[in-house]
Amino acid sequence: MEIEITINGRKRQFDVEPNKLLLNLVRDELYLTGTKYGCGIGECGACTVHLDGQAVLACMVLAVDADGRSVTTIEGVADGEKLDPVQEAYIEEGAIQCGFCTPGFIMTTKALLKENPDPSEAEIREYLKGNYCRCTGYVNIINAVQSAAKKLRS
Amino acid sequence: MSINKTNTHIVPVDFEYHAPGSLDEAVALLDKYGDDAAILAGGTDLIPHMKQRKAEPKHIVNIKRIPELACIDETTEGITIGALAKLRAVELSPLIREKAPLLSEAAGSIGSVQIRNLGTVGGNICNASPSADMATALMALDAKVHAYGKDGARTYTISEFFQGGGDVRLEKGEFLTGFTVPHPPEGAGSAFEKVGWTTFDIATVNVAAVLTLKGGKIDHCNIALGACSPAPIRVALAEEILRGKEPTDEVLEEAMEFVAACVEPRERWRRAPPEYRRRSSQALAVDAVSRAVEQARRKQ
Amino acid sequence: MVQGNDFKVLGKKTIRKDGIAKVTGQEIFASDMTLPNMMYGRILKSPHAHARVKSMDVSRAEGMGAITLTPTEIPNVKYCPRLVSVPSSTYKDWKVLAEKGHYVGEPIGAVAAESEEEAQRALEAIEVEYEVLGASFDALDAMKPGAEAIHEQIYLDEDLLDVESNIGCQLDITEGDPASLEAADYVIERTYRTNRRYHNQLETKSVVVRPEPDGGVSIWSTTQTIHNTRLLIHEIYGIPMGKIRVYKVALGGSFGSSIHVNPVTNVAVGLALKARRPVKISYTREEDMRDHCSYQMIFKLKLGAYKDGTLAGGELEAYLDIGAHQIQAYPLLGCVVGWWVSLYKLPYKGYKGKAVYTNKVPSCAFRGYGNPQISWVVETMMDELAGKVGVDPLDFRLKNYIGEGDLFWGQGPSVKSIIQSCGVEEILTKGAEMVDWYNRPKPEEQTGRFRRGWGVGRGYHTSSAGAPVPSAIVDFGGAMLKMNEDGTFDYVSALMDHGCGTQEAHVKIVAEELEVPVEKVNIIKGDTGTTIYDVCTHASRGVYSGGGAALKVAGKVKEGIREFAARILDAYPHAVRIRYDEETGDTVVYAEGIEGREVTYREIAETARHKNWGTVAALESYRQPSCPPHFTGYFVEVEVDTWTGKVKLLRVVAGADIGTVINPMLAAGQVHGGFAQGWSMTVLEDTPYDPEDGDLVNRGSVANYKVPTTTDLLDLEDLTVFFADTYEPTGPFGAKGIGEGALNPVAGTVANAIQNALGVRFFQLPITPIRILEALREKEG
Repeated sequence: MEIEITINGRKRQFDVEPNKLLLNLVRDELYLTGTKYGCGIGECGACTVHLDGQAVLACMVLAVDADGRSVTTIEGVADGEKLDPVQEAYIEEGAIQCGFCTPGFIMTTKALLKENPDPSEAEIREYLKGNYCRCTGYVNIINAVQSAAKKLRS
Repeated sequence: MSINKTNTHIVPVDFEYHAPGSLDEAVALLDKYGDDAAILAGGTDLIPHMKQRKAEPKHIVNIKRIPELACIDETTEGITIGALAKLRAVELSPLIREKAPLLSEAAGSIGSVQIRNLGTVGGNICNASPSADMATALMALDAKVHAYGKDGARTYTISEFFQGGGDVRLEKGEFLTGFTVPHPPEGAGSAFEKVGWTTFDIATVNVAAVLTLKGGKIDHCNIALGACSPAPIRVALAEEILRGKEPTDEVLEEAMEFVAACVEPRERWRRAPPEYRRRSSQALAVDAVSRAVEQARRKQ
Repeated sequence: MVQGNDFKVLGKKTIRKDGIAKVTGQEIFASDMTLPNMMYGRILKSPHAHARVKSMDVSRAEGMGAITLTPTEIPNVKYCPRLVSVPSSTYKDWKVLAEKGHYVGEPIGAVAAESEEEAQRALEAIEVEYEVLGASFDALDAMKPGAEAIHEQIYLDEDLLDVESNIGCQLDITEGDPASLEAADYVIERTYRTNRRYHNQLETKSVVVRPEPDGGVSIWSTTQTIHNTRLLIHEIYGIPMGKIRVYKVALGGSFGSSIHVNPVTNVAVGLALKARRPVKISYTREEDMRDHCSYQMIFKLKLGAYKDGTLAGGELEAYLDIGAHQIQAYPLLGCVVGWWVSLYKLPYKGYKGKAVYTNKVPSCAFRGYGNPQISWVVETMMDELAGKVGVDPLDFRLKNYIGEGDLFWGQGPSVKSIIQSCGVEEILTKGAEMVDWYNRPKPEEQTGRFRRGWGVGRGYHTSSAGAPVPSAIVDFGGAMLKMNEDGTFDYVSALMDHGCGTQEAHVKIVAEELEVPVEKVNIIKGDTGTTIYDVCTHASRGVYSGGGAALKVAGKVKEGIREFAARILDAYPHAVRIRYDEETGDTVVYAEGIEGREVTYREIAETARHKNWGTVAALESYRQPSCPPHFTGYFVEVEVDTWTGKVKLLRVVAGADIGTVINPMLAAGQVHGGFAQGWSMTVLEDTPYDPEDGDLVNRGSVANYKVPTTTDLLDLEDLTVFFADTYEPTGPFGAKGIGEGALNPVAGTVANAIQNALGVRFFQLPITPIRILEALREKEG
């Protein structure tokens, strides 16, 4: 099936089987491997992307279902070499260990701060609960979100 | 054995894909393909099921291009919610938060933000898991379910429709189009409680309570219990005990014995033994009723 | 004692060098690798817990155009996938593709095709006939007469051994006089069972193998050791070592699951050699959960104490339920006794350990390597024993712990050393004060629905598996450091960073020694051809051992810099000094006392090149001098809902003695992460088996293997981490490790807190809501 998806701001055409997942489309066809496979069933959040501005799980979206729509992956967050404040905050606050969950967390964080620019710790935890990290115990991640929120508000 | 057939990297099932633009188009497809077709709404149940080879449809009918199925509106009948209303939309809807906050609470308890941005109320109901959180909440609100098929539109009560264990009452070619939730009585308080192993889990038990207070005593009282039997149930005996009484700790404890008595899980359910569900259903029911009472008091 | 303030770089917050790549999604992990002309591999897994493969027909799969691989096409080599022990301690019972399924999930065949979808279809087209055999799912059952033999014969080094009663290996050790224990005034004897946890590292096991024209292979894989990967492929396939290149890629978490070479790598090499094309295999989460798990243990522990509160000795019977194959069971038997006897002083210790085969997923090291399991058991019993003696559990620990100046076994009887730095006293007394320990609630005083309790627990882990004397463990590493032509430095080491930031610490050590900012030291991702041997990143040896190697080469490079500087300055090499100029950002070498005679690193490098003096560089192999323990202590407050059995975390105070703290933010991160894993170990994780079909009850689905999310742990303000003020004389700049110590005591601490809240003690993990309600029902009727 022929479809057209705007990915990180660029319109792209694809010819895909109906059962092709959006996750594998961005990873295999476009080599955008920042979006990760962690579980395939919606439990870990490592495949979080923005679909029409909303944080969703690319492992549960058919590519054909994204036809005519717009997708942002982690590779579309920075502005060229200029990091997004959320990315900066994750680095500065030591919120990265192995880094495999990091893109997913950043995509969810960006969605959170767009909806709620001044979230409380409880709100941050609630919003991020679909993203799983095995390394950090989440402490520095929460610190990073709070720091990013401050940066974005100023 | 499915160990070599499950592949969660991909969708290991080949199917034909259809995206009808109208109700009648969708009905025609579903009627034509019958059991070989599956409806794609949010995909948060269907896609993992296909990956695990629990579902192998030859045809997938994506109904998200049908315009009228996602609305959240208010009419004289109550609040109408389209089958394709996203769980996140229900969670955040100012109308629902004001007029039927129980639904907002139940929707918000499901999965994660990412899942709620994809998943729909209709999907939660039609997947018909015994622990479906929306089913318990809709039952406590006496919701009506609307379906549309070859013979036109049909309406069911939630308990007629939701059979649990993966089954809903739909004829061939028929599909769920939405719900009508009658306005809860004036001054009603409500609460939704759920317990899982972590805070990001399906329910081992869920409870929904809607009630009003009249002169300090419980008047209207609906309590629904989910994940303790194939479909959620109204705990009529507990409701009976509570009506007309002041919600003291003793009264609550007495009523909750009847909640525990309604727990009838299937033998093959491995998540928790029946005794665990009996005890924690009592806890959740007490918590739900207490919070609903608080809310009702604040409204007075 | 030299501490944070005296250092220029150590102890200060610095930014991870791989941070930008990780936040932009550009860091490549093995599961992200693609190569031109690459095929996708899928492994055929035994659907039976125990079954002989009578026949395998791959013709339909081949008819689809797939490459197939069956056991007969692989060299007939039995191996151990973990090469950390010397050969005489290495038991071998693995083959790349098994002719008998020993557990559900065991690789028995494989395919490669043009896409994952095609490979999946080809996999399903393989037809297999099985002869199903009896299976055992519990270690004690597997040893009973009549239980089906899982392995008839296995190798120990080159010797073929008969396996009796499904016992893979055993170890008995006794030290001291049993009379000490017999004279005890109080004795407790208990049986404990741990859970069987799954590492649930974010990145599933993955590999890409490219066959090279010279008959060799290039490998990118999820590994904690590139050199042992090369060694094993050489052992199995006979390819000369020089033709096997294993490249470093970022690793998405591991926690011990890639100390051994994962099956995907061994299979992918076979497929790539046959296909003569690159092959990628990446496990699904379900496959990964059937690939490895922690060591489940059954303990019978007996501890005695005298009236005066000192320990009289103990006896420990340990049964390791190792699953269907040995990965590192024999050394673990030694570690288990080592962990046990190194917690508290025992005048007499009697130990009998057995590693038992069962038809389950093979166990491998999981952060702590038996120490979390032992610490849970000992910390639980210490609390109980303190109660009998009539002394506060904290004071009981302070009276008996093994600390500075004491003999310490660490990783087993062949790895003994004397402890030279210890912050246990500081951790426990400071923590006790912070939480008002002595005024904590009493379980008998609580009767309501919600009950609160405080628990204490302490532990340690070694920093590396080496010791002053040689042992049965291979533990050494090496590093290379060179000065670039612009005066910056390239640091190359084979040590893998699986997220902890150990290489960041090495860079800081180099920077501290050479007096440059960390930006001037680059981490180069090496491979087996461009690095010298490093055994593995495990045993919390990254900073202590790897950092030691970094310090060594930095020292040599410093000498080389002095030598060249001296030529430029017309001075003596031993007379020149080095300092960092804050204003210019340059590091200069100068002749003491002589004005104006100084030269920057950059000038030295440029001059050396123009004058053909050569490159300042050092390559050193390094065996660390000891394996000093890093110590941790936890105080945890919980609240238990006695109606639902759910346990809520209220407050955690964690103290760690890691010597000099090189990276405070990363070190604290290890404690946060270790605590979360320990909490999860105590109340959540387990992989039970269905004896009817021999598969995991959860079918490999993470939906039924829950781990804590952001909303399951406590608020930031309720978690306090502090570091003790210590200095390890044998460590680089006084540093020790932290990775595993951060986890080890947590389960015992949380279990003790639950006991303090409910007055009920548990002897099985995990302590689930179901078990809590059952126990309360029993207690309160």
